[in-house]
Amino acid sequence: MSMERLKYNRTVGLCSMEGRGFYYPTDTSIGDSGTLYTVSRSIDGDTRGIRVTTYNIEEEYFGTFARNGEEPGELIWPTAITHTKDGNVIVADEYMNRITEFDPEGNFVKILWVSESSDPGLDGPSGLAVDSDENVYVSDNNNHRIQVLDRSGGLQCSFGERGAEAGQLQHPWGLTVAPDGDVYIADWHNDRIQRFGVDGTFVRSYGEPGRRSDQLYKPASVCVDNDGYLYIADWGNEMVKVMDPEGNVVQSLRGEATESKWARAFLDINLEEAAAREKSDLETEVGYFVNDPHEVSSHIEKYFWAPMSVKLDDGDRLYVTESNRHRVQIYDLNRQ
Amino acid sequence: MVTKTKTTPEEIGHLLRRAGFGGSKKQIDDLVALGYEESVERLMNASDGNRLPDHLVWRYHHEQSGLMGATNPAAYWLYKLIGKEDSLTEKMALFWHGIFATGYNKLSQGRALANQIRMFREFGRGNFRDLLVELSKDPAMIAWLDNNDNHRGSINENYGRELLELFSMGVGHYSEDDIKEAARAFTGWTIGNTEYMALRAERDSIWPYGRLAWHYEYKEDDHDDGEKHFLGESGHFGGEDIVDIIVKQPATARFIARHMYSFFVKDEPAVPQWPYVEPQDPEAIDLLEKTYFESGYDIESMLKVLLTSDFFRSRECWYKRIKSPAELMTGVLRLSGEFDRPRREIFDRGQEMSFMGQYLNNPPSVEGWHEGLEWVDTGTLVERINFSSGQLGQEKYQGVKLILDNISNDLADGVSGEDLLDRCLEELGYLEIGEDTRVILEDVANEGGNVDGYTLKDRVKEMVRLVAATHEFQRA
Repeated sequence: MSMERLKYNRTVGLCSMEGRGFYYPTDTSIGDSGTLYTVSRSIDGDTRGIRVTTYNIEEEYFGTFARNGEEPGELIWPTAITHTKDGNVIVADEYMNRITEFDPEGNFVKILWVSESSDPGLDGPSGLAVDSDENVYVSDNNNHRIQVLDRSGGLQCSFGERGAEAGQLQHPWGLTVAPDGDVYIADWHNDRIQRFGVDGTFVRSYGEPGRRSDQLYKPASVCVDNDGYLYIADWGNEMVKVMDPEGNVVQSLRGEATESKWARAFLDINLEEAAAREKSDLETEVGYFVNDPHEVSSHIEKYFWAPMSVKLDDGDRLYVTESNRHRVQIYDLNRQ
Repeated sequence: MVTKTKTTPEEIGHLLRRAGFGGSKKQIDDLVALGYEESVERLMNASDGNRLPDHLVWRYHHEQSGLMGATNPAAYWLYKLIGKEDSLTEKMALFWHGIFATGYNKLSQGRALANQIRMFREFGRGNFRDLLVELSKDPAMIAWLDNNDNHRGSINENYGRELLELFSMGVGHYSEDDIKEAARAFTGWTIGNTEYMALRAERDSIWPYGRLAWHYEYKEDDHDDGEKHFLGESGHFGGEDIVDIIVKQPATARFIARHMYSFFVKDEPAVPQWPYVEPQDPEAIDLLEKTYFESGYDIESMLKVLLTSDFFRSRECWYKRIKSPAELMTGVLRLSGEFDRPRREIFDRGQEMSFMGQYLNNPPSVEGWHEGLEWVDTGTLVERINFSSGQLGQEKYQGVKLILDNISNDLADGVSGEDLLDRCLEELGYLEIGEDTRVILEDVANEGGNVDGYTLKDRVKEMVRLVAATHEFQRA
């Protein structure tokens, strides 16, 4: 019997419109010394909530930066966050069609790329990754292609085109640069992961469309470990899937969140809610919409709900950012 | 009496405005070729297609994917209204939402409201008995009318009262004792984790991990199984037995018939006046009541009889209804094509609808909205006209561009104001306008032809916007 590749470690985060916590987070990036940067998208029509929250795995809270707005350094529909080698932070905004750079403390540095038109520019940047040469890969969601920028924001090349054939893309979302330099893309609307070489040539495709535990439905994000295993945020199925290097699904997770330190702190001072919560069954299998994982996740709090991002740190830990539950579930990799 | 003649585009335009949200010239022309009865069949058996499906909407609107705060249920529903091919089912969901009005302001739980509308889609065209049972189990309704506080030995009458007064029979057809007995029968019908969910709703708590969806739960140990006397019958009734008795009452048939007539045919007075004001077409109401019983309480059968009836097809009822803000906005957005994909501006449209007086999933009270002329006052009329005219003046929207191109390509420079106006009326759904309106619009259309540098396209754009600003465009 094979060992499970992922083992639950803990949950971090708290639903919060301001300060400590997240509000509809879309992505998390891991900075120097394990500092975590989680970007929150918030809700339309509310100026609060949009921010980048900085903290660590022990839930020490360091602060927030960025806010709602259209001025430089502000965000409207943030989708993705990543780091450069010098520790700066890059955030994509799919409403403003803009890539913004901040320093590690969150001070605005510059707009790396902004687009007024969709060609050759951006129409919905929704995924970010940086390779070892500091090139920035951007999922150009509504143009169905990947754009590659140099460190100063100059367009180097682009690859992919709209379609469902091998090497084509439809609404690509998250992406990653694997340890071997290949680029893996969550080809969202095609229900698969696609892999491209360093030069943008198509290598292969992973996954088949469907609702089963070994299939993918609207994947949002992918990352790859040193052994070539893929970790996929299977957003449409409300799951996280693990694939071996041959593309076989070897583990499928529904989520097992527990109370984070911040959650516990909230309940410790809101005793009436804590007492009522204690008496509740938050894992009831509801009798309707049972074939709808999205609906089931809305009822059962521990399950993943809108897992949008998977990221690996240097310590073999996987971070799953769940938008609708405003938290990050963390899993340990078992690489034996 | 309707004289059976060849189906006209104007008649199909009427059908689409009432059974849907209006139609484009092409949609109407296609149905004219089928004939009226076949068009009704087509509408009643429309596909479940949706060009703006959930996964696409949720990809961009993360809160509509989640448990939704105050404003997002309306925006979420607006996507359905715009995107779904089956407009009759959406129309019926609006119909039931107006009767079984349930609002966010008490629930603080948008997903429960969205799920209630989903339930209307599933049961709203079926058997009325099944719909009332589902309604009684609906978590949003349970919380809205306090059935979670309705306990054995300590009843809360709220749901029992409204079930009879506002949801099925209307005042004057039951006693205060019937209300109490109905409430007893619905004890134990509640939402799971009642205490925690009620506390969170009261505090609008989003902690620690966001809102939690509600589900129905029957608590047998909280149910009063004693004998009850309800509407002349006696027994150890539970909630479903109460519904069984309600649906066989003549008052229920009449209540639903009057609602359907008012929603689809002609605006009737508000429900509180029904005991004192006779229906304007008693024969139509009689026919719908008869169908209700003969079909075994089947709403779909009533719909079919209504849509193919002489009283519905008669020109006497054309343009006699004021479009609700939801109907107006949906029709305009379907024409304009602003939402070719999910866009952040859907939130603004939801807000605009509330400025016109209809905040979907947040009605003013359990009575819902007073419709008809009450939709229009000096403020809301300006909102309605500005919205319609503004949307259809945006050439950047693909639907508007198509309309302008279709008209411009059919006409030549120097076209008369009369021909220009007629072509614009066709493209906006074979709209018919009164003589007073026509005189004014023709004058403007002719003047435009005499302005140097004013192109045919300019004239078309101006006329489309003006047609959208007419009082006829505000009517269905």
